[in-house]
Amino acid sequence: MKNLITSMITGAVLGLGATSATAADMNDVEKSFYPYKNSVPSHEGLSAGMTINQSNVEQFKDILDEGMYQFIKDGWTEMSVTDTMAFELNTSYIEATKNGMGKVSLGEKPGDIRGFVAGRPFPQEPSMDDPRAGEKLAWNYKYGYNWGDNAAIYPFYWKFRDLNSEKIERTLKFNFHFLNLKHRVNDDPKPDLPKNPANLFRGIYVQVLEPFDVKNTQLLIHRYEDDLKRDNAWLYLGFQRRVRRLATGQITDSFLGSDLMIEDFEGYNGRISDMSWSYKGTKNVMLPFYKHNDQKLTEDHKTPDGFQFIEFGGKGGCFPQIDWQLRKVYVVESAPVDPNHPISKRVHYVDAETFTLPRTVIYDRKGELWKTFIIGQAHPDHHLPKNKGTGVSIDDSFMMLDVQGAHCTTGQFKGQVDPALNPRKKFTVQNMRVTGK
Amino acid sequence: MTKIKHLKLGTKAATMSMAAVLSFTGISGVYAGTSADGTLEWSGFLENATFLRKDVGLVKFRNTVQLELVKQFSTGNTFSELSFNVTFRGSYDGVYDLNKDDFGRNAGGPIELQSTFSAGPPFVPHGGGLVSTGAFFFGFDVGANPNEGLMVLGSDSHANDQGGVSFGIPVRPCDVDSRGCIPGYLDLSLDNLRFPEFNSRMDFLREAYIDGSIPFSNGHELNIRLGRQQVVWGRTDLFRVLDVINPVDFSRQNIYDELEDIRIPQWILNLDYRMGAVGSFDDLNLNLVWNFDKFRPNSLGQGGTPYQILGAGGFFRGMKNCWDNGCTVANFAGLPVPGTTGLAATDFAPGTLGIRSAQLPEWKLDNTQIGFKVEGVKGGVGFSVNYLTYLSQLPSLRGGSVGPAALNNFTGEVKQWPYLIAFDIAFPRIHLFGGSMDLYADSIKSVFRVEAAYTTGEEFANTLRPELFSKNDVIRYVIGWDRDTFIPFLNKNKAFLFSAQLFGQHILNHELEDTPATLAGIPGFTKAGIPDWKENWIMTFLMKGWYMQNRLSPQLLSAYDFRAGAAVISPSVDWLINDDWRLIIAANFKFGKGPRKFDDCRSCNPWGPFTATPFHADPFAAGSVGLGGFEPLGRFRAGPIGMANREDEIQITLRYRF
Repeated sequence: MKNLITSMITGAVLGLGATSATAADMNDVEKSFYPYKNSVPSHEGLSAGMTINQSNVEQFKDILDEGMYQFIKDGWTEMSVTDTMAFELNTSYIEATKNGMGKVSLGEKPGDIRGFVAGRPFPQEPSMDDPRAGEKLAWNYKYGYNWGDNAAIYPFYWKFRDLNSEKIERTLKFNFHFLNLKHRVNDDPKPDLPKNPANLFRGIYVQVLEPFDVKNTQLLIHRYEDDLKRDNAWLYLGFQRRVRRLATGQITDSFLGSDLMIEDFEGYNGRISDMSWSYKGTKNVMLPFYKHNDQKLTEDHKTPDGFQFIEFGGKGGCFPQIDWQLRKVYVVESAPVDPNHPISKRVHYVDAETFTLPRTVIYDRKGELWKTFIIGQAHPDHHLPKNKGTGVSIDDSFMMLDVQGAHCTTGQFKGQVDPALNPRKKFTVQNMRVTGK
Repeated sequence: MTKIKHLKLGTKAATMSMAAVLSFTGISGVYAGTSADGTLEWSGFLENATFLRKDVGLVKFRNTVQLELVKQFSTGNTFSELSFNVTFRGSYDGVYDLNKDDFGRNAGGPIELQSTFSAGPPFVPHGGGLVSTGAFFFGFDVGANPNEGLMVLGSDSHANDQGGVSFGIPVRPCDVDSRGCIPGYLDLSLDNLRFPEFNSRMDFLREAYIDGSIPFSNGHELNIRLGRQQVVWGRTDLFRVLDVINPVDFSRQNIYDELEDIRIPQWILNLDYRMGAVGSFDDLNLNLVWNFDKFRPNSLGQGGTPYQILGAGGFFRGMKNCWDNGCTVANFAGLPVPGTTGLAATDFAPGTLGIRSAQLPEWKLDNTQIGFKVEGVKGGVGFSVNYLTYLSQLPSLRGGSVGPAALNNFTGEVKQWPYLIAFDIAFPRIHLFGGSMDLYADSIKSVFRVEAAYTTGEEFANTLRPELFSKNDVIRYVIGWDRDTFIPFLNKNKAFLFSAQLFGQHILNHELEDTPATLAGIPGFTKAGIPDWKENWIMTFLMKGWYMQNRLSPQLLSAYDFRAGAAVISPSVDWLINDDWRLIIAANFKFGKGPRKFDDCRSCNPWGPFTATPFHADPFAAGSVGLGGFEPLGRFRAGPIGMANREDEIQITLRYRF
């Protein structure tokens, strides 16, 4: 059965690949946004309510990525299985995709895109025959609906954990804010905010609330619309009361000592042109998609409105205790253009419906497995009431496990799709000075 | 043996003290937190800092409690955000009790001062000058100014047998020994020293301000911060080119403490008008800062404290004692005794030499300080243009022809004497015009930071002027470079931060001239004029790494003063044991030439012809011919690094955060 599905998907890919040179049509859009409209993937022996564990993992090896297979095999975690369910994105994003059909193309160099206004730039199925298919998928991710036009993770807890001793070494509390200045589909003004002389695509603003030694640290990233331009980044250090411009080489550095680089945020947080993108095929893979309110929630950090965060467990307390489901995935590899980059490649398991990156496996410069990244995706209709109906696949939990260092960083999100939390003024350098102590 | 005792005592006491503080606060119940409604947040820390100095022993045993509170208010219709922020800090520095022989009530002792006059003893006690009571109007009452509780000026940084000028400095707290204490400026009692935040200016209230934002319909916003606060301008570390709104406290750890901890908060209205993107500017903001607090100068430390920038606190205290009570000055008078050489230690009468008073600006509208800044981002380059009018936080010594009326020890006449080293301390108004910028150069993966200021109104010691100071415009700048660089064999996962800065200072219309004695090549004479270097640069270099998820951070910080030829290297390791505990172990080693010599105005001939030297063509004409030594003006050539050349230290700081 598994082989049959793989064959079908491959066949479909090849079939679509033959038309990839042509403009997208409505059928492409339908298939891209509603992959489970007619059927959901299946795998022999896999059913909702079961658990994949050490005893049965071999049976499901083909629908597990390399990292998760090994973790389950080693008994570090188990995988609770639920039915595949649709995570339909906001209709305004889908409409924008339809409006842009046939108008978007790649430029000559990686990082160059033409004719894009909003929506999913390349809704066509990727083709193994298309040498730039990986790059198109990367654009689909970059301009994905993601958090919508803006969102806040408010608050956001990170824990640094020793894999072997299970000791929690550090707990950091953040607020994260995102704002798209261009290609907006939902909140007016759209598609672009006015008064954007730098032609920024996106702003990311991070504020550290705890613990004391990094309290009041703030990070601001300005991402240009021109992918060939380097991000601008600034750091406000509370103990210095000063904004420091960051050498953006620092985005490949450990962020505040965690197992994540700034470049790792959301799965990949760099320029398209910084990587060589390769499409490796389409598969059905177990991914962490779930209903937050149905998960095991922790009593720690309960917020005044009663919101509870995802519980963690397994080896070292590194693994989110969440449900997984079988989903259609594009496997994409990104290899740094810069030979001095600390990694050799990332393997992204791109969720075909949402174009989020729920699973990424990272290899060091020698090509050996270094880190493995889970970003749990929660359905917006089973989360905070304010998120219902937003059509955002909500980042809800993460684990970045450094296999070589036997260490992990875990994250617990309170994602809020709420424009009031992300006013434009928050994404300015001056805001850091005013907000800082 | 004494020093070993201090070391052990310090370490043991540090442990006991932290335990006692934790016990006292009931640590299991002390945590950062937020109120149930989320509008009140609190956090803080307890800290012990124990520093040990080579050949001295314990120099710091500071125990600190800091508590920070933030209360958010409902904003109503006018404000989009409104909060009240307050920070309390209290500390007790046990060094004044644990090492009272060096810094507390038993500090100092009787001293002897050099007298190179060949027909007399090589050293004389304080009050035992060869020229003294009975000779004209010389001499002072040793009963009122006894030879006890003193140290020789400069004895902590150089030898006192080099033929230079010197005198005694009272070093006990001002409630134990009031000699040399300058009311309202340098007059700290033992409790003021031990509990530095608990004083008449309520320094325990480190910050207390209201923060509010008023949005406008055009998208602009006015941020208002009103209250006691720190306002930081500029883009550089360690140096204060634009970051001069708040005075700083050098008595905590000379120039080596974090500015965050040593800025002295002021009552300030800080307005930020934020326009966001305007025209071709990515971000544009206007800033008004009005410091309406009663004037506070920098705290320089005082005679008897472990940390003093340039040794100034001790010098001032000795000078004040000279004025009030008279004093013995080493190697001062050339006596007309045939067949002799050298200079005799001299007992000057009260009201002759020294510092009469500090003229601290009183509170009035004209003495408030105001600044404007335009700051923004254009084309990816951050920039600011700054103007600030403020009162100098460093003292200016105005003497000679504009100094206090002083007693001519030969004639008994009292008046202002050109070139006489009798001073009042003033804090002149300064106008600063400056700017800053930063940019990222992707091709070399480097950030560059530039900060520059042009000031008018600063005053410098100047032995060529009859008033012994001159006003000079100054250009200062810092160029900073930051780069993150992987060193795989040291750490393959995390880049090291390399940061270098070049600080430059150029004194315009600088005066420094040869004298007849220097032209004749006479040893012991130097050029006369402004002791500060006309042009000087200080280079800093930082290398910092991180291990164990940033919880272990070694760093090497170094600085080199080019003109002074003085360097400091400060390695440290910062260990975040967990979210609550932090341990920092550091060292601070100085190298280089140390103290430097300069014209000390012994040969200024204020009372011609009595004080004329063979190099004064007209024995009635006042003016220096450049006889010099380490004291007092050599300190400006040695700089803060060179003047502290004997202050090598091991420093241990343990902090518990809550």
